[in-house]
Amino acid sequence: MPTSRRQFLASSAGSALWLAGSSAGAAPPKGARKPAPATTPPYDEQSARALAQSPVASDVALARRAVEAAVKAGASYADARLVLWRSERISVRDGRSRPVRLRERYGLGVRALADGGWGFAAVQTLSERAVLEAATRAVQSARVQGKLTRELGKPLVELASTPVVQGKWVTAHELDPFDVAPVDKAAMLIDVCAAVRKVAGVSFCEASFDAVAEDKILVTSEGSELHQILFRVEPELTATAVDRRRGGFAAVGHDAPGMLAGWEYLRDLPLLADAEALGEQAVRKLHAGRVEAGYKHVVLAPSNLWLTIHESIGHSTELDRALGLEADFAGTSFLRPADTGTLKLGSDRVHVVADRTQPGGLATVGWDDEGVEAQRWDLVKDGVLVGWQTTRDQAALIGEPGSRGCCYAEGHDNVPFQRMPNVSLQPGHEGYTTEDLINSTEDGVYITGRGSWSIDQQRHNFQFSGQTFWEIKRGRLTRPLRDVAYQANTVEFWSSCDMIGGKGTYRLHGTFGDGKGQPMQTNAVSHGCPPARFMANVLDISGDSK
Amino acid sequence: MTLDKSQAKRLVDLVLGQASFGDVRVRISSSRRGHLRFGDGRPTTAGDVDGVTVAVTASKDGRTATVTGGRTDEAAVALLVQRAEGLAGLSPVDPEHMPPLSAQTILKVKAEDKAVAGLGAAKRADLVGRVLRRAEGDKVRVAGILEHEHTSEVVGTRAGLMLHHTRTHASLSATCRTEDGTGSARSGYVSHALAGLVPEALVSDAAQRATKSQLPVRREPGRYPVILAPQAVADLLEFFIDGLDARAADEGRSAFARPGGGTRVGERLLHASVRLWSDPADKANPAEPFDNEGRPHRKVTWVEGGELRALHQSRYWADHQGTEDLPPPSSLHMDGGTDDLEALIAGLDRGVLISRFWYTRMLEPQRLLVTGLTRDGTFFIEKGKLVEPVRNFRWNDSPLSVLAKVVALGKPQRAGLSRGRVMVVPPLVASEFELTSVSDAV
Repeated sequence: MPTSRRQFLASSAGSALWLAGSSAGAAPPKGARKPAPATTPPYDEQSARALAQSPVASDVALARRAVEAAVKAGASYADARLVLWRSERISVRDGRSRPVRLRERYGLGVRALADGGWGFAAVQTLSERAVLEAATRAVQSARVQGKLTRELGKPLVELASTPVVQGKWVTAHELDPFDVAPVDKAAMLIDVCAAVRKVAGVSFCEASFDAVAEDKILVTSEGSELHQILFRVEPELTATAVDRRRGGFAAVGHDAPGMLAGWEYLRDLPLLADAEALGEQAVRKLHAGRVEAGYKHVVLAPSNLWLTIHESIGHSTELDRALGLEADFAGTSFLRPADTGTLKLGSDRVHVVADRTQPGGLATVGWDDEGVEAQRWDLVKDGVLVGWQTTRDQAALIGEPGSRGCCYAEGHDNVPFQRMPNVSLQPGHEGYTTEDLINSTEDGVYITGRGSWSIDQQRHNFQFSGQTFWEIKRGRLTRPLRDVAYQANTVEFWSSCDMIGGKGTYRLHGTFGDGKGQPMQTNAVSHGCPPARFMANVLDISGDSK
Repeated sequence: MTLDKSQAKRLVDLVLGQASFGDVRVRISSSRRGHLRFGDGRPTTAGDVDGVTVAVTASKDGRTATVTGGRTDEAAVALLVQRAEGLAGLSPVDPEHMPPLSAQTILKVKAEDKAVAGLGAAKRADLVGRVLRRAEGDKVRVAGILEHEHTSEVVGTRAGLMLHHTRTHASLSATCRTEDGTGSARSGYVSHALAGLVPEALVSDAAQRATKSQLPVRREPGRYPVILAPQAVADLLEFFIDGLDARAADEGRSAFARPGGGTRVGERLLHASVRLWSDPADKANPAEPFDNEGRPHRKVTWVEGGELRALHQSRYWADHQGTEDLPPPSSLHMDGGTDDLEALIAGLDRGVLISRFWYTRMLEPQRLLVTGLTRDGTFFIEKGKLVEPVRNFRWNDSPLSVLAKVVALGKPQRAGLSRGRVMVVPPLVASEFELTSVSDAV
């Protein structure tokens, strides 16, 4: 592990206090926040501006009142979250704009632990009366759950300790995405679509920009008080070629990922420069050949591999799944806590890291939704399971002294629970390029982009498709393919990983839409990786075999 | 907070009264929701949520924007309208914008149940306590959730539209796993009413099936005759109904596009016994009577005698093509027979019984090819009997193919896992289904 947990806790206790009460625009003491000074974006003028403009800050007194009321009503622990969630969608279809959508959700959620049970209540009406009522309701509900737990003779909820912190954290950004006029964003998309549709054979083009701002304040009964503003942006661009006469079509999506960033990230993407190539890819895919199915090498680009990491390693190392708490919907896991430190799930070169401090990572934060500082730790080292994703009420269940900081709730009205941090495959030491991987492959397929994805409820058997596919023969890309999917079992797949790209090939991808829990909540999360080579069952899904 | 009809209408009038554009639509959804989760033999998390969303769509000269907020006081509402109109002014022209809907007649739908509307922490704990105690008695590990909701929806426009609907929703979902971790089954209850919910019966049903599914044996993947339980049929039909988009078909990018141009409406695509229809006013299984834009959901027959009868589309596309305005439906019913699952099993010589699917995804849209896995009870059938539980399979197949290969249909029932659409479908026997690989998941 990069930092010992004890060291980390000692150094972070109170270390974030410098921001408390700091006047907007004050220069940050460099590296004041441990444990990740090198990767945490500096607290700059833009961040100060965002904090100063936040409408949430003026309601912090209500959050404090809610927590006080919960404690007074008998909660042994309580927290209140004020969350202002703003999202905007700008989309165009074939050069024609669609209606702009702007959505705001704002309110307060109170979580209380009383008599060993959890309770939660949320309101949108931010009056003192409504907030106090919610606090009381959460405590009453917690008591009911605690009583039932005792009657059943089951263990009560136990929270791991965490340092008390006050602080502020804002996504590093140049431009607040909500400060840019929709008409300007749409104009960019219309230009890009026009360029895509110039390619002969391309019939349709769809494009969109999504932006999310999550502005939130957490107040806990232990004294932590944290204000964070997160900006996430994501582009989408798809070209579709249609063969009307024979009745066939093919679509290819651009692989630019969503990022924790400001408008500048979308503004600077080379969508226009890539437009012609994307259109050509769609036409090429429409007329591409069928794959020779069989058990063979797949060389997976980062734009494809990230989702395979998410599904097969990201979800299987969620502790609540391994404990059976998600069995009714998301499922359980093939990994058990008892396997920690012994179960080999990949080849020696497989090193997978969880990291909520990674710049640009969609799950990157200052602190999680119960005030635990963002951290980086190993999940898989030398191919062996070594770590889990946890929250404060889970740490004790695997004998760990503290939470890994994976608590998250989508909005003010969702109950916080364990969600995935950024989970990434580390680059290989040989410094391989994508070409090296292809050149070393006798018979295989090179796959880019996110296609169809599906995995079983214990994360053994998965099947993924992609956006573009090339046949590899004797170390060369020989012809484009379509209707390809690869199927494998998690442990066999990761055990077959024999080549991993070097540092220069590492890319970060991610999704806004990781679903889990009941009622289901979505989480945004990123996965970094280099290209890598595996063995898998390559399928021809063109259906002509019928 | 669930607004009643007069409160909801007053709020709509308040919003529309603030508008300066002629073309303004408002949709207000207010609800009181609660849940209690359980896992590992104990309650885990619970929640009580009061919420309201006010969505204002303002349009002028084709420039359209929708702004959604969560406050209902006069000042907040005025600001919301101002922002929607302001944002519309900053938006590019949407050439597909349609004029606002005027007054509409909708089907009368009764979907409000007092018992559900009155649910709170104590009653939830009582119901979940009964689940947990029965699971302990049945020696299985149970996980799941009890959810309830009381919701009011209203849509209005300055052109005279004003539609209101109130509904309740209750569901209990429970997955039972055997203590050795080799058997699993799920039971679910979903309805607008609470009266039919018996936690003990629901758990024992899942516990029995979980025990029956213990220690599954490995069977080779391949093409097998299958019996799909209603939940599995519903999982497949989601892809079918979502795929019936008229525009995609007209544009040649759908499984329902006819090579050479046009759509496949009028073609016999499915087995002659297949009839698919929607009816929001169905008494036992009421569904939403109108969509977010205020378009009424009517009684529609999508497939009759295996022949595709209709496609759904946006208002713009209906206008563009000169066809009837049909939104994607809020409910889907499939006709069946009178046999229960046991009778269907007794009638099959050899095949696989599939209880439900998991992680279904579009694999190849040209043929509506879908992938997914079986989950929570997969069994081998020989000579009309369940002979053994088998390991789960991944499959790659199309609802078009399955519905063309129907051999027998059982008695329709409400599918317990709801994704926003009411599904009432029969178990069915299909002569062939493509199971492509084995999954070790339980």
